[in-house]
Amino acid sequence: MLDLDMTPYAAFVWPAWGVSALVLAALIVRAVIASRKWKRELERLEAEDAPPPQATLDAAPRADGPQVVRSTIGPKE
Amino acid sequence: MFGLSNPQRFMAFTGPLTPVLWAVAAVLLAVGTWLSFSVPADYQQGDTVRIMFVHVPAAVWGLGAYSALGVSSFFALVFRHALADAAARAAALPGAAFTALALFTGSLWGQPMWGTWWVWDARLTSVLVLFLFYLGYMALRASIDDEQKGARAAAVLGLVGLINLPIVKFSVDWWNTLHQPASFLTPGSSGLDPVYLPPFLTMLAAYGVLFAALWLTAIRTEIRRRRVLTLRARKALEA
Repeated sequence: MLDLDMTPYAAFVWPAWGVSALVLAALIVRAVIASRKWKRELERLEAEDAPPPQATLDAAPRADGPQVVRSTIGPKE
Repeated sequence: MFGLSNPQRFMAFTGPLTPVLWAVAAVLLAVGTWLSFSVPADYQQGDTVRIMFVHVPAAVWGLGAYSALGVSSFFALVFRHALADAAARAAALPGAAFTALALFTGSLWGQPMWGTWWVWDARLTSVLVLFLFYLGYMALRASIDDEQKGARAAAVLGLVGLINLPIVKFSVDWWNTLHQPASFLTPGSSGLDPVYLPPFLTMLAAYGVLFAALWLTAIRTEIRRRRVLTLRARKALEA
């Protein structure tokens, strides 16, 4: 059975558990929001980046492509 | 293992793993909380013993997260590996939060047991220093506009902070402290009544799995963020 009567230490036990729960919840919410935000943004940019179907056939690699892509570490999703 | 240092393989491997970690962490936290309020109060400490189930895991994984940050910083500095840098950055916030929780809950445990919220003994002070290293790491990264320079400066600080980890761990052995010596994970000399082991170990595992879930999620987010920045820069060049 659960024992929720913390007398006479309720003023110490509940804040410890309450603040722990709040901080962990904040960490989780922040991680999920940030994850969704950058995933959405990456999908949007890659959709813009994708050549239209017809252009794909004619597309030739650009010898003068920007070098900045070399520093990318992310996968193409 | 080293194959995972490739970001694409890392994303492919951690994609299905991360939701499993979140689910396991949720179950362990729920079971651990239930167990923590099911055990009887301690005959000496009363109900304050229940603070231990959130205090010790936060402290242990605050240290564990800094180990991850420090080792990742080493690989980022020596091998200039972008994924290692992302891993170091991703460990900072959860580690700082866990360490702050360890300090806060420890203070709430100390007042009724020791009669004081805070004392400048070696264990408490070294954990405070650990927290300051986390803050310094995040502040340094944020304060330098050039991300690569900021990452290198922060990695040096992250490495220096590793020196503090054995000080935190052995402070209770090297100095006389108000904080008790290690009594849980010392073989053959556990001062913990066996009745408290199930909630303690469950919460320890819960915090560990939660840290793993937070860390992996943050690394994946960082990889995507850098990919977005690269794509934006490429578009800006093309425009």
